[in-house]
Amino acid sequence: MARPEAKIKELRTADLKREPGARKDLVVTINRRSEPRLIPYGDQFLSVRLPVGTRVIYPPPPLDDLPDPDTAIRYALLHPENADPLFAQLNPNMRVTIAIDDISLPLPQMRRPDIRERLLNQVLQTLADYGVDDVHLIVATSLHRRMTESEIRRMVGERAFRQFWPDRLYNFDAENRAELAMLGKTDHGEEVWLSRRAAESDLLIYLNINLVPMDGGHKSAAVGLAPYQSLRHHHNPATLRDSHSYMDPTRSALHRSADRMGKIVNSQLNVFSIETAVNNRMYGGLLDFLHKNEDRFTDWDRTRLAAMQWTMRNLSNDMRRQAMYQYASPYGMTGVWAGETEAVHRNALERVFQQYAVPVKGQSDILIVGVPYVCPYNVNSIMNPILVQCTGLGYLFNMYRGKPLVRQGGTIIISHPLRDEFHPEHHPSYVEFFHRCLAETTDAVELERMFEAEFARNPTYVHMYRYGHAYHGVHPFYMWYWGEPARQHVGRVIAAGCEEPNVAARLGWESADTLDEAIAMATADHGSSATITYLHLPPLVIADVE
Amino acid sequence: MSVHRSVTKHQDGAPRAAAFYDLDGTLVDFNLVHAALFIVGNLAEWTGRAAYFGGFLARVPQLYRAEQHDRRLLNITLFEGLRGISLDRLRALGEEYCERVLAGRVYPQARALLEGNRAAGLEPVLVTGSPDFIVAPLARELQIAEFAANRLRMSRGLATGRLIEPVMAGSDKADWCTAWAAARGIDLRACWGYADSYYDLPFLSALGHPVAVNPDRRLRATALNRHWPIVNFKMEEESAALSLTALIKNWLWSGGNGATGS
Repeated sequence: MARPEAKIKELRTADLKREPGARKDLVVTINRRSEPRLIPYGDQFLSVRLPVGTRVIYPPPPLDDLPDPDTAIRYALLHPENADPLFAQLNPNMRVTIAIDDISLPLPQMRRPDIRERLLNQVLQTLADYGVDDVHLIVATSLHRRMTESEIRRMVGERAFRQFWPDRLYNFDAENRAELAMLGKTDHGEEVWLSRRAAESDLLIYLNINLVPMDGGHKSAAVGLAPYQSLRHHHNPATLRDSHSYMDPTRSALHRSADRMGKIVNSQLNVFSIETAVNNRMYGGLLDFLHKNEDRFTDWDRTRLAAMQWTMRNLSNDMRRQAMYQYASPYGMTGVWAGETEAVHRNALERVFQQYAVPVKGQSDILIVGVPYVCPYNVNSIMNPILVQCTGLGYLFNMYRGKPLVRQGGTIIISHPLRDEFHPEHHPSYVEFFHRCLAETTDAVELERMFEAEFARNPTYVHMYRYGHAYHGVHPFYMWYWGEPARQHVGRVIAAGCEEPNVAARLGWESADTLDEAIAMATADHGSSATITYLHLPPLVIADVE
Repeated sequence: MSVHRSVTKHQDGAPRAAAFYDLDGTLVDFNLVHAALFIVGNLAEWTGRAAYFGGFLARVPQLYRAEQHDRRLLNITLFEGLRGISLDRLRALGEEYCERVLAGRVYPQARALLEGNRAAGLEPVLVTGSPDFIVAPLARELQIAEFAANRLRMSRGLATGRLIEPVMAGSDKADWCTAWAAARGIDLRACWGYADSYYDLPFLSALGHPVAVNPDRRLRATALNRHWPIVNFKMEEESAALSLTALIKNWLWSGGNGATGS
């Protein structure tokens, strides 16, 4: 039986030759006749005429969806990598825990059925067929906020929800000491803690979605089911400064640490990993023009763009946000693999890079990125300034392999309105972090030394994490550390279109009213011959910089 | 910077910051009317109970208006209904109310929060409009040494129905916290405050870390607007039901059995 996705590579190669947006055309240089470019600006899009000579990097077109995802999942469960098939590992008396990636993936949320629902239905059916009753489903939130009942229902589907919620389907609680188990220490002295239920299970099945290459692998269980005591070993300024980049696991100290911890987990538990890869079809239907090169826009595309911009301009901030979160992406599954964690992850990584990687020659002086309305930590919430920082400097700066897109000492221009807005239920500790900690210092090492432990143990934040829907008290620190490699690398960050300059100043950034003004400020520094690169979103793209 | 707080202590061992808690509706699932009715319902003779209860019924419209507009007036109006009760009787009933009702109605999460804050170096302080004869035994139960509560003015051992100034409500709570912190060299910006009512806005605003607990509609709106944390404490359903039953029992059938005689 051939793998259902076996033909994908050949098909795509043929498609890429035919498509106008073929991979060889993904790096475009702006000339005098070029159309204005769309740049994400929070929950809107700016239409900006970029300077002549600016290099624009476009994402590759989406890989084809698997024609029959359910069959592909069944195949993966029956033909796992370096492991016995799932059914062969089961007996009726065993205890099984299924861990599931949380709402931070994929972004925006995908149309139903969610991949996790498809995976769960197949896995639960197999468990039922072999008489396994002691099954718990844990949403691997780690220090993320607890998902709400409706969010979980949407993610896992009606069947699993009705059968398991709420007693056997629940969010992981990293602050319930009685439900944590320490598995040991790595040779680097890193403490490996895990959900006790998972640790005491005969079989741990992890259901993953790989949106970008930093997801999956040992990072799934060893992070998703782990508390602060474990995470502090790699979510810290020193480790993250040594990660080049987060999207390149081979050169990321964060991933090396997670791998060390994951190996301890796998040495003590029977882990059956199931990883999936999705294509980058972030927007479809009436919004599919957002993926296109603006020079190839048709009149119909321009009409849709004008209508979208008019609508967004005329909605209040709240309504605009609500409207954006109603959108569900038509992501398609491009691969599914099951079995031993590392072997599975190698396959998934290969497929993910096949989707995202674009070869790019050389770095530039100035990098322009647009921060959209959503990142992994504000689904159905507010993109606050700390998360803008995390998305701009943490994620978008790290969308590279080899070398960063911007040279050492260069300038990053981040397009976002940067409002002093926070979601008090989801991000309570962010408010204090922003107004109190950043008022004292923006140095990540100092912040870690002065405040991290206090926030991590703060009883109010612990309560809100455990019983409300708040991110853990220490989470804003991690978001700040996430931007650390970029802060170490670039000389200057300018917030373009910033509505509240004091917010940019608090982050240690400069501000400009418009993107043109930001580019002028940057070129004043780097000279009129400064090279500029714009990383075009959506969807996501990873630059292989030579 | 002056905003550093908490875990470190002065050389004399005193905490450098405090956590101020409102009581009713915040740490404990009860309200002042409930407490007052318990006391009235547990007076010795049925004639006495009937008279006081009738007095409360007559004040209901006044209490409702006060509740809608002015927490200070509510406290004053409510405690007028206790006029003539002896101090020793109030203390005994306060102890009993704490033991039989309040102790079982402290939110479990509130206890955890109290302990957590204490471990983080925040000295707990109760700041409440409830009367001292109820607050004192509860503070002992929660191991809280410091509290500010309303005190009834007594005359010849009997309650006059008037409160000793300052009445613990609204901005007077904030003033008390300011004076208390100043006397100990504590920076209020480093202190945490927990309350449930919009009337506690001045109190919460005086503190560096205000937290809305089970907030009413207006406080919730304010907290959202000001980016204050909002937490929700819940009682176990069973415990709430039992407590309500106990209260009704006391009112109707105590007949001297449910309370010690005065």
